[in-house]
Amino acid sequence: MVKSLNIFVLVKQVPDQGSKAGLNPDGTIDRAKAKRMLNPFDRYALQAALHTKKQYGGKVTAISMGPPPAIEVLLETIEHGADRGFLLSDRRLAASDTLATAYALYKTVLYAGQFDLIFCGLQTTDGDTAQVGPQLAERLQLPQVTYCEDFSLENDKILAKRIIEGGYQKVVSSLPGLITVANSYHPLEYKSFKGAWRVQQLQRNPENLQKIIQTIDLDIIGADPDRCGLKGSPTIVAATEKVGDLGGNCHMHEGKSPYDLVQEVLACTNLQELVSN
Amino acid sequence: MENDPPIVQFCPKGNVLVVAEQSLGQIQPVTLELLGAGRILADKMGKDLHCVIMGYDLGDLPNQLIHYGADVVYVADDEALQYYRTLPYRRVLVDLLDSLQEPPHTMLLGSSTTGRDLAPRIAAHFETGLTADCTELDIGPYEHKSKVDPTKLGLYPNCLYAIRPSFGESLKARILGPWKNPQMATTRPGVMIPLKIDTSRQGQIHNIPVKLNSEDLRLIVAETVKEVSSGLKLTEAEVIVSGGYGLGSKEGFELLEQLANCFNSNAIGASRKVVDLGWIPYQHQVGQTGKTVRPKLYIACGISGAIQHRVGMSKSNIIIAINKDMDAPIFKFAHQGIIGDIYQIVPELITQFKALQNKSALGGKSVVGSR
Repeated sequence: MVKSLNIFVLVKQVPDQGSKAGLNPDGTIDRAKAKRMLNPFDRYALQAALHTKKQYGGKVTAISMGPPPAIEVLLETIEHGADRGFLLSDRRLAASDTLATAYALYKTVLYAGQFDLIFCGLQTTDGDTAQVGPQLAERLQLPQVTYCEDFSLENDKILAKRIIEGGYQKVVSSLPGLITVANSYHPLEYKSFKGAWRVQQLQRNPENLQKIIQTIDLDIIGADPDRCGLKGSPTIVAATEKVGDLGGNCHMHEGKSPYDLVQEVLACTNLQELVSN
Repeated sequence: MENDPPIVQFCPKGNVLVVAEQSLGQIQPVTLELLGAGRILADKMGKDLHCVIMGYDLGDLPNQLIHYGADVVYVADDEALQYYRTLPYRRVLVDLLDSLQEPPHTMLLGSSTTGRDLAPRIAAHFETGLTADCTELDIGPYEHKSKVDPTKLGLYPNCLYAIRPSFGESLKARILGPWKNPQMATTRPGVMIPLKIDTSRQGQIHNIPVKLNSEDLRLIVAETVKEVSSGLKLTEAEVIVSGGYGLGSKEGFELLEQLANCFNSNAIGASRKVVDLGWIPYQHQVGQTGKTVRPKLYIACGISGAIQHRVGMSKSNIIIAINKDMDAPIFKFAHQGIIGDIYQIVPELITQFKALQNKSALGGKSVVGSR
């Protein structure tokens, strides 16, 4: 690579579903109380972005959309070695579905400037749709590699391995392009000392912080509010219902020796035809 | 009454369109499932079921789609479509929809690596709604009362109900977007039920043009590799032994491997949490963001049974769950529950399954009672 690459990575703050904090008694999430975290899938995207910078040279820009606390995940990317960030935060984005989200991110990417590669996580843990990456690629008219589990750059081309059912594809794509990174890619490396120190300094100096992580709104990026939030979303959640107990007649075995427990289970089930001969 | 919302006279326009998936001369199972689901939706609206298939040298595949329920099949057969690629497939679909007098009412794709790659591109291009990973589909009425956007007010008699489990909650969400067609959804492989093949079914086959420009060819497929992994594919195994966070460490999967090997046709599954922790590769993940499986026997070891996992395995014939925590949700839908330590119970299971094996090898009759 001759030139220095402009590498973008999209990250999202999600509720931490693994922690008990913020869980209502019925198991639903209380978003206000729930602990927040960097979307686990985005860790792989961040690793891919940082690897690209290390291997080929360039600058990593992290982009997120969310309420003001989402700046936490952008600071986290800087601790790991990202160079700068943009947080799109605007009340008018509330209740955006994936189409409206992709539109807002599209405008943010244009605002953030030139790019060669955009990395996204495969999906988020709170939406699970895997739609925003490809929808953003469509807006930007980019080629995309989804489910990417490894890649390299050669002669201005992306050589990538993408997972497909029962195997994989090796593809060659032109730059610029968008890649969604599978969680079989390399896990995120530890925070760098330099990055952690940089974040400490930034947190002490709000003016510098705003230079490194710009918080922007729809007006700044010139996005049409009618295409964002509830208004810009072609889908709505019309109803939710409790999932009924499935079966619900679990035959419980407890309080005996392992031998007796297993004997009991085998007495209740017919597994003969399944065991190998 | 003057405050009633305007009633939109809405005879559903457009048909139901299924985007078929084929690989190496075979229609993928998820496509047959979508035709089954799409047939029900089309019949409910009195509309036709259309299907589009893209590829190269497709031979008899279009006819097979008719035998599985399609009324009309659009065929794009071109060397450039031999392997799935986002942009060429996207181009063909966009051109097809542009050429129709009216867009399809509903458009369905599988939530495979292909469908999840392609559907969002199409939805973004047409700026229409898309719901991922549905577990149920239906057609029904909807009245929009929210005044946030007055242009959306009204009663819509025929909406696609796209129903999917909602994250982190024991809830199902019904998602819809009747304001613009096509109303799009992807469904998980293994969830919908295909129709029985009927070779006497008749339908129309239309060849459609494939016109690609240089922009569409920015990505090439250098190689497609089907891996024969050491274990069976998760979706094909008769017995799945699955591990969760309760295993305590990745070494626990070695024990599960031994248990799985007691069975002829076996595979190892895992909960998302342990995949995220890197204990086992993603290919083993069962659940909402992994695979949907329906084995004859599913043994869940140290898996709590959150909704995301449940939707991927609850249709297994027999579910045996082992967990220390008697309040684990998995005991609400497993058939046999053992409260205990995996590292005590699993070795005992291995011993006793092996004993069963030996008995059957001796030609003995089934020594275990039926249910």
